[in-house]
Amino acid sequence: MEHHLLEIGGVRMSRREDLRLITGAGKYASDWNLPGQLHATFLRADRAHANIVSVNTEAAEKHPGVVRVFTGEDAMRSGYTKPMTMLTFKGRGGMEVLRPERPVLAHGKVRCVGEPVAMVVAESALIAQDAAELIEVEYEELPVVIDPEAALAPGAPQLHDNVPGNVPFDFEAGDAGATEAAFAKAAHVTRLKLAVTRVAPNPMEPRACLVAYDAGTDMYTVHVHVQGVNMMRKQLAAYTGLPEEKFRIMAHDVGGAFGQRSLAYPEYCMQLLAAKQLGRPVKWIATRSEGFMTDSHGRANYVSGELALDKDGKFLGARLDWIADMGAYLTPTGPVSHLRNPSTCLTGVYRIPALYGRWRTVLTNTNPIAAYRGAGRPDVAYVIERLVSQAAADLKMDAAEIRRRNFIPPEAFPYKTPTGSTYENADLPGVLEKALKLADWNGFANRRRQSEKAGKLRGIGIATVIENTGAGLFPRDEVQIEVAAGGTVTAYTVSHSQGQGHETSFAMIVAETLGIAFERVQLRQGDEDHPLFGNHTGGSRSTVGAGSACHLAARKLIEEGRALAALELDAEPSQVEYANGSFRGGESKRTITLADLAKSRVFSVTAQGSFSSTFPNGCHIAEVEIDPDTGVTEIASYVTVDDCGRVINHTIVEGQMHGGVAQGAGQVFGEHVVYDRDSGQLMTGSFADYYMPRAGLVREITMEEHPTPSKVSPLGVKGMGESGCTASLPALTNAVLDALRPLGVQHLDMPLTPAKVWHAIQAARTKQ
Amino acid sequence: MYPFSYVKAKSLKEAGEFLAAHPDAKLLAGGMTLIPTLKARLAQPSHLVDIGGLAELAGIKEGAGKLLIAGGTRHHEVATSDAVKKAIPALAYLANLIGDPQVRNRGTIGGSVANNDPAADYPAAVLGLGATVVTTRREIAAEDFFQGMFTTALAPGEIVVRLVFPVAKRAAYAKFPHPASGYAMAGVFVAETATGVRVAVTGAAPGVFRWKEAEAALGRNFNPAALAGLAVNADELNEDIHATREYRANLVAVMARRAVAQITGK
Repeated sequence: MEHHLLEIGGVRMSRREDLRLITGAGKYASDWNLPGQLHATFLRADRAHANIVSVNTEAAEKHPGVVRVFTGEDAMRSGYTKPMTMLTFKGRGGMEVLRPERPVLAHGKVRCVGEPVAMVVAESALIAQDAAELIEVEYEELPVVIDPEAALAPGAPQLHDNVPGNVPFDFEAGDAGATEAAFAKAAHVTRLKLAVTRVAPNPMEPRACLVAYDAGTDMYTVHVHVQGVNMMRKQLAAYTGLPEEKFRIMAHDVGGAFGQRSLAYPEYCMQLLAAKQLGRPVKWIATRSEGFMTDSHGRANYVSGELALDKDGKFLGARLDWIADMGAYLTPTGPVSHLRNPSTCLTGVYRIPALYGRWRTVLTNTNPIAAYRGAGRPDVAYVIERLVSQAAADLKMDAAEIRRRNFIPPEAFPYKTPTGSTYENADLPGVLEKALKLADWNGFANRRRQSEKAGKLRGIGIATVIENTGAGLFPRDEVQIEVAAGGTVTAYTVSHSQGQGHETSFAMIVAETLGIAFERVQLRQGDEDHPLFGNHTGGSRSTVGAGSACHLAARKLIEEGRALAALELDAEPSQVEYANGSFRGGESKRTITLADLAKSRVFSVTAQGSFSSTFPNGCHIAEVEIDPDTGVTEIASYVTVDDCGRVINHTIVEGQMHGGVAQGAGQVFGEHVVYDRDSGQLMTGSFADYYMPRAGLVREITMEEHPTPSKVSPLGVKGMGESGCTASLPALTNAVLDALRPLGVQHLDMPLTPAKVWHAIQAARTKQ
Repeated sequence: MYPFSYVKAKSLKEAGEFLAAHPDAKLLAGGMTLIPTLKARLAQPSHLVDIGGLAELAGIKEGAGKLLIAGGTRHHEVATSDAVKKAIPALAYLANLIGDPQVRNRGTIGGSVANNDPAADYPAAVLGLGATVVTTRREIAAEDFFQGMFTTALAPGEIVVRLVFPVAKRAAYAKFPHPASGYAMAGVFVAETATGVRVAVTGAAPGVFRWKEAEAALGRNFNPAALAGLAVNADELNEDIHATREYRANLVAVMARRAVAQITGK
């Protein structure tokens, strides 16, 4: 591999892990098996809110091949009743979070469809499934509340005794008084009530877990998919009350995550209990139906937004009132990410002098919400960017011009926002102008006329966004590098790829720093024989954190190697030179390689670093064409200009951007988890009803980079795994609304399905 | 999936006899509907009688103004068959819109027709072309064969052997796929046949149906404009989270227009 690649601004390289993954040679959670393993299946609540009167397991226990049936009584006896919380800060008026109990099997009450009520452990999965059908549960139905706004109303069904009004946490940010004053002097106020719809993460790999307990060492080995072993270990320990060091987490390949894999689910905790009590390993593989019902859902924020402007279109203030649906229980990541990330980026990319946000988290009879690609960042970008484009329309201003007029100027960075965060750096006008040119913004009117001639409605939408990448649950990231006598260099990280391409990117960083061939470097993620402190993969933090630590560890390896080489070369370390894997120095001018140093000793270093948030930003411009006969929207063009700092591998960055944009497009045009309002039954429980984007939805993306290197990382990188999602939600929705506005349509909520768009067109035409 | 016994039939006769003797046995051809149903534990047959590879159910023949497609013919075979493309290109086009490549390489025309999913594509062609369903016992006209959602004239143990399509003068199919499932949300098959214009609609209602008003209008003037102002009764159509009845009624009209336009080039 050519050296100094980082200096010349990155390379293009296919991912080395792809051949393994696409030829079926990957090892996923369900691929693990142990001798003597038992199989678990879960009987799940078939109603959304009910008292459990009785659970009769007699027939199931007698079913041949059944080893044990567990119920909520077992969960209560174990004390596995309270999941971890990451809400360590206080809320509005000093409020502490009210943590609802969530026994790992429902006890007394079920609060959403799919909640596990009993676990059958048997000699085979089939036997367990058969036996589960023999369990008789008597319920006493309770009134159901699905809509979080309805859950706030007086007299609404209450989910948890210790959470009065269904609000476990109330939070605010900014200055309410100053914001009110700003609105008082506004020439214009734009208001929108927006739904950032509930979606299902749907990673390709269904959930699976295999737990073995060893009585000799009192240790649990947990084979499960993770975003990082430490996060999983911490949560399992918190949920069960067992010490963290009792868990050995084993994970290789992870088939997609999007935030969903960061949780220790109740099912895994029940497997811990069963494996210990039964003395045999217990395996469980979820079906896709269970995935739709019980894998944590994402988004589900309902926001009333107001933007105050002066007569020239300058922003004076913004006020956002959030209702954050949390589902029936709080997950560790749901509330924290849906409050902290939006409050960090509440001002968007704009200078808004007065800002206020209030967040009410609300419990409903639905599946719990957790972080989902972007985790609140796309949500806030969607609200702000919808408001800004709507304001431009209200004031008959160009949507790019209103942004230009209100950007935080390059010289104002580092920029302290009114909600207390500090954006590191960005060149927003540079990003915008590049994108406008790439999208031929000025030629749109002409293209619209062409579409009109063909009977189509054309619209252009823009979004300029910024987001904070995750600093992480752990205050620092460690990476270990070990050199083998054969010359192979292995880097160990906590950060765990779920498809991001770490094996390529991180190996590139190590190879580049050491000046050795890429092929000589390999990556091991979450290796329990090399325990390290550090963060999981999430919040676009991995290259910033683990990637930077790879670089620091490689540098440390050189320095320690220099000292060792100096002894062997009989020279001062300062006189030993290092280049391309070899040390040279002393009078003999002898050469000692990294591998030589590993022949007589374990040659290994661990480096660590603390990395705060970086602030990737960008401008996306989407152009759409709508067929008014059917309401079908086609994405005519999609342009991205992103500042994700220095790029290591353009191929991976582009892949992440493609995936993020497509994921956002999926949400804009169809993805939506729907529950029946009255019964709380899941209406989108399979791919027959739940829309997933197909390849044809996003045919081409034109991309350019506009890097301003970050100083947070010695590599100059910023995170970018979520940027595509963050910008595409508002860019695409703004484009559709731009197409419909001439008809008089001002607002639509996602998903912009053909039927919804067609109805909007019909309604507008009827009015005209 | 519940346990079941697998039986590989050596002939249609044997399969029919086995079904007669085992009331809870089910036929397995391509399995594209049955297998997912079994996996979801929504059916519990005692036996699966596999007729997927029977020579009696293979083959496409054309002659004397008719196209004969054996019941075991895979969608992919129909979509790529020169005989079908020559005789009724709209049928090959329709077959290529079913499911995805995996489904098209497993699913069979006989299985699809016998299952009579209200959103399947083939029933529109069978009814639109006025085809005859030949079974192990008799010949059934398309009109009599489809009897509403997942219901057909087939008696227990009766197996679809082949479909006999009269070759139409001109025909076309326009489909609006359901955004999630890819099945027809509205699929309209229009054919100009020896006995007049036929318009069959799938996906929109509880079962495939003929849109007689459109047939009459197109019989007078075979042109998309002839359909202006015509609408199916929305009250009789399906509704789900992806589409209202009104929207489906609109799609039927739009797809009908587009099918005619495919033929007339207007």
